[in-house]
Amino acid sequence: MTKILVTVKRIPDPDENLKFANGGLDLSSVKWVPNAFDEYAVETALRLAEDVGSKKTKHAEIIVLSICPAKQRQHMTQFLAMGGDRGVIVDANDADYDTAAIAKMIAKVAQDEGVDMVITGKLSQDNEGNQVGQRVAALLGWPQACFAAEVDWDQGSNSLKVAREVDDGVETKQVPLPALVTVDLRVVLPTSVRNGINPADHKFTDGPRLASLRGITMAKRKKVKTVTPADLGVESAGGEKTTTINKPAARAAGQMVGSVEELVEKLATEAKVL
Amino acid sequence: MAGTNPLIRDRDVDFQLYEVHDAEQLCKLPHFAEHTREIFDLWLRSAAKLAREQFYPAFKPMDEKGAELIDGRIKSPEGMAELFDAAVDLGLITAARPESVGGSQLPLTVSVVGYLYLMAGNSGAVGYPLLTAGAAHLIESFGSEALKATFMKRMYAGEWVGTMSLTEPGAGSGLGDITSTATPIEGREAEGAHHIRGSKIFISGGDLDFRDNIVHLTLARRPGDPPGVKGISLFAVPRLRPSAGLEDPSNEDAGEGEIAVEFNDVHTSQLIHKIGWKGLPSLGLSYGEADDCVGWIVGEPCRGLSYMFQMMNEARILVGANGTATASAAYHQSVDYARERKQGRSLDPRQKTKEPIPIIEHPDVKRMLLRQKAIVEASMCLVMTASRYNDVAEHGANEGDRKRARMILDILTPITKTFPAERGFESTSLALQIHGGYGYSSEYLPELWFREQRLNSIHEGTTTIQGLDLLGRKVVANMGQSLMVLMEEIRADIEVARKDGVDEALCEAVKIEVARVGGLTQVLGQRGMSGDVLGMMAHSHDYLCLFSNFIVAWQWLRMAGAASRGLTEAHDPDSEAFYRAKLEAARYWIRTELPDNARLAELCESNEDSYLKVPDSAW
Ligand SMILES: Cc1cc2nc3c(=O)[nH]c(=O)nc-3n(C[C@H](O)[C@H](O)[C@H](O)COP(=O)(O)OP(=O)(O)OC[C@H]3O[C@@H](n4cnc5c(N)ncnc54)[C@H](O)[C@@H]3O)c2cc1C
Repeated sequence: MTKILVTVKRIPDPDENLKFANGGLDLSSVKWVPNAFDEYAVETALRLAEDVGSKKTKHAEIIVLSICPAKQRQHMTQFLAMGGDRGVIVDANDADYDTAAIAKMIAKVAQDEGVDMVITGKLSQDNEGNQVGQRVAALLGWPQACFAAEVDWDQGSNSLKVAREVDDGVETKQVPLPALVTVDLRVVLPTSVRNGINPADHKFTDGPRLASLRGITMAKRKKVKTVTPADLGVESAGGEKTTTINKPAARAAGQMVGSVEELVEKLATEAKVL
Repeated sequence: MAGTNPLIRDRDVDFQLYEVHDAEQLCKLPHFAEHTREIFDLWLRSAAKLAREQFYPAFKPMDEKGAELIDGRIKSPEGMAELFDAAVDLGLITAARPESVGGSQLPLTVSVVGYLYLMAGNSGAVGYPLLTAGAAHLIESFGSEALKATFMKRMYAGEWVGTMSLTEPGAGSGLGDITSTATPIEGREAEGAHHIRGSKIFISGGDLDFRDNIVHLTLARRPGDPPGVKGISLFAVPRLRPSAGLEDPSNEDAGEGEIAVEFNDVHTSQLIHKIGWKGLPSLGLSYGEADDCVGWIVGEPCRGLSYMFQMMNEARILVGANGTATASAAYHQSVDYARERKQGRSLDPRQKTKEPIPIIEHPDVKRMLLRQKAIVEASMCLVMTASRYNDVAEHGANEGDRKRARMILDILTPITKTFPAERGFESTSLALQIHGGYGYSSEYLPELWFREQRLNSIHEGTTTIQGLDLLGRKVVANMGQSLMVLMEEIRADIEVARKDGVDEALCEAVKIEVARVGGLTQVLGQRGMSGDVLGMMAHSHDYLCLFSNFIVAWQWLRMAGAASRGLTEAHDPDSEAFYRAKLEAARYWIRTELPDNARLAELCESNEDSYLKVPDSAW
């Protein structure tokens, strides 16, 4: 059966205020949540694998991969609860590794598992790096289609047709499998993902599906393999270093101006931009 | 609509579940052994998301355009089908049901929090899955295997929907006066089939268009059975009946897949126009107009009301949950508004600015916010306390624990139903008040919550009925033993609060109430025993209010204890502020609201009876 590897990450809740301490982020009391784009990635994989006519038939096995401390894997449980088949955890604090090292681990797992597709979120909402997917594709020497808004799986020709979000609109690319896809927001619209089996006009529920109670209790019984970075041949955290993270300076209060003339005057004399 | 309303704050949920009620401890009971905190948290995250992203956005549109009655059938509100599907997928209907019937066996202490989120998002919409759960639960507890196979399974699967069909035009609070009839069908006695005739009113969700079939759990009377409450039986009456009769439960796939059905002579006679809950229409139903309505008896004849009573604790906890949820959503909206609305100048002479200030800085606005906070959070605590006793009553480690919990729960139920409804209404009124004129306008949400909340004092037994239940039944039951057990529990909690470092004066104030409530119960009980039942029961409302103030003070003391513990470990300013606010709310309740008990007790003791003395002709 086709195997799909989906990468997922936990991040500090982006809806909460960040706390800063000692030139870095204070994560001691942070609430960890799954990266939203990874929820879209898992949803994409589920829609590719699903046969909406028969709950028992599946067209792909979905392996969820996360690099995180093995004990802090609630996000993994959530993704298995949504419908992932099994998990792989690389037991490490992901923040200690740079993107190159992270990409190496992912590529190695993809090889070891012999997967046909890797699906990742286009970026993680914490540092918005937008690098991991591309690096993994390069390491594997696979074609990549990033920022997917729509995915069509042609099982006959063993390829994906991907509509990508690009600056001036949408570009469509055909990639032979194995391939890597990074997904963008619109991929979770009701008809964005097609697997050639489900009716082309089938409407999935908008957005990534919720973890159901049944799914959550069943997730506990799904297999999760734990490995270390060393098992994957990654010995070094990489060369990237974060020196400090500081809060941006508060924006000064704005000024109300009485007229266009006054505005022009101030722009010319005070702001000196004219 | 502002999208930022959290409806229920996640941090409060964590506080209640893990710092006050120790929900993880429940996982040590065999019935809940499969569960972990991770399961609880993940499910609640899904419930919160569903509430915020789907139920809440549909709330105001459903109020503006609710259900319609067209040619005898109900057209459900727009979007209801998707919301129902989502609730079914989430596992809402069977969350707390045992695995043996396909449920997830979650403690009610946890599942009720999921309901809270969804109720805060959209009371009417969550009514359908919860009513279905309640109706199926009746069949699960009391019905035959054939009824379970035919109806319960499909209801738990969310394929068919259920209602509670009790009220009649002539029988609301007094269900003993029900006149709907059920006549055994000759030759079909073994399956318990009866012909049903009669009319029901106010049946929530009594018809809909997003599922084919609806099973009405209906109270009716068989010919020859005794009059009054002792002669009422319970029936499962579907809108569409299985053409070939009930399914054979010994068939492996009974209850699964489609079966042939035919119309069962149940009609929607009326859509009641009402001030809230418009997503969940209240209908008049008419059974057996063509003498062709079949209902199947659930359990034994003449036990209908007693079956209902056995389910009552849970149903009433859910009304309390709704009161809590509605008040919570309104409270958060008013906090938001108070931060943003600028009006008036500061009274603080140190304030240099002469600009209008956010109204949240005005002392009286703060008072209105704190009163809401005190009511909302205590209501939540109370609902969870009752749910936890319910969990232990049903699944406790031994008979002793179960019995104790049952005794306490019985007393707490009328209060858990009433306090969040009555004080929750005052709380939504304050949320409206904080919005000033905009609060009175239907462009804003507070007036909608205000209308929604009003129902909670009426359905599932009016506030009056709860007062009668508390004083006339619960506290005097088994010679006051239940009350003694409850008081032991409260006294022990006062000591725990002391050890946790809660202000001594607050602990002492609650302790004084233990004595006051005990003494007053004796006074009223003796008055009743000496023959003056009217003089006793005429004070049932005073007593209910006083008892509620006391029980809520107990909740605040427990929360204050947990907050004091939390403070010693809090390292960041946000958690510190969180816990300090809890301590202030506890102080507010005990210093500002609890003293009303002296007045209420005096009214009861002196048998103040002005309302009984007004000549009937003079009203
Ligand atoms: C929106 C809505 C939804 C509902 N949903 C359902 C439903 O799904 N299924 C269902 O079966 N019913 C439902 N009901 C009915 C509801 O349970 C009844 O309205 C309620 O029990 C009160 O009955 P009543 O309306 O006949 O009022 P009454 O019983 O006539 O009461 C009128 C007043 O008299 C007081 N009173 C009555 N009896 C006594 C007494 N013995 N001593 C002192 N005071 C008394 C009451 O407290 C009340 O203030 C619903 C009602 C509403 C409004």
